[in-house]
Amino acid sequence: MSRQIMIVDDSRLVRVQLEDVLKGTDYEVAAYCRSGEEAIEQYSTVKPDLVTMDIIMQGMDGLDAAEVILKHDPNARIVMVSSLAYDDTFERAKAIGAKGFVDKPFHQEQLLKVFEQALL
Amino acid sequence: MNTAMTKEELTQVLDQALQDVTERTAGVRLHQGDQPPGEDLCTVHITFDRGFNTSLTLCADTSLLARMARNSFHEDAVTQEDLEEFSKEYLNVLCGKVTGAMFRATQIPAHFGQPVFYHGRYEPEGQEVQFILTYSDEHSEGAQLIHHVPCSSEDGAGETKQEGHIK
Repeated sequence: MSRQIMIVDDSRLVRVQLEDVLKGTDYEVAAYCRSGEEAIEQYSTVKPDLVTMDIIMQGMDGLDAAEVILKHDPNARIVMVSSLAYDDTFERAKAIGAKGFVDKPFHQEQLLKVFEQALL
Repeated sequence: MNTAMTKEELTQVLDQALQDVTERTAGVRLHQGDQPPGEDLCTVHITFDRGFNTSLTLCADTSLLARMARNSFHEDAVTQEDLEEFSKEYLNVLCGKVTGAMFRATQIPAHFGQPVFYHGRYEPEGQEVQFILTYSDEHSEGAQLIHHVPCSSEDGAGETKQEGHIK
């Protein structure tokens, strides 16, 4: 059975890249959200196995959105996908409860490895 | 704490980031050369508004950006809106990569604003060119990545206590 993924990213470029990378894998894109607010709204309806969350977006950023989602569902599996690869960003993502961090632009192998670890 | 990067270090960071991001996002290989873009070009400009008081400008042949956009979006043709959207997102990813490397070198978390797209060449006011990296691809289409710093008349504008600087 395929794993349902919710992509949260305001970049069309990244959405297309994620689709490419997930083609032919056990992952299926269940929903796209373009903002943190939309992700919070959609999460309980979509009930994805995994969320990929950008950090810098218009409105609420991805770290705040991840925190809200994890407060409502501590079992949520959220992987941050961002080009903001700073140590303090990693630390905050980890403190919130994100299951992984993928640096943009990503490789398929790297992304799938982080997904697998997040779903353990 | 070392809050400065040399121009040479930054040049290397920008060069690696540009080549990596371009190949991974658009499947285009750029190599450094000396042929600047032609007259039909577009510019995307982004300002570092925290951490470093500098800006980056990407000028590229419209045909090169259009091909990169087509490759990235898997479209046979792209509209002006697609071209603008791609160019801004491409520079965003590039700057993310660059700020990550700058952070590793200086421990200063830089922050950049929203990229702005222009048809033709754009030169930011109050800033001067520190250096230019010129690229071309196998179709002889060209691009330039330009690093701007505040004009030297604005004494020390890029070297406040909390910020890093490029020396």
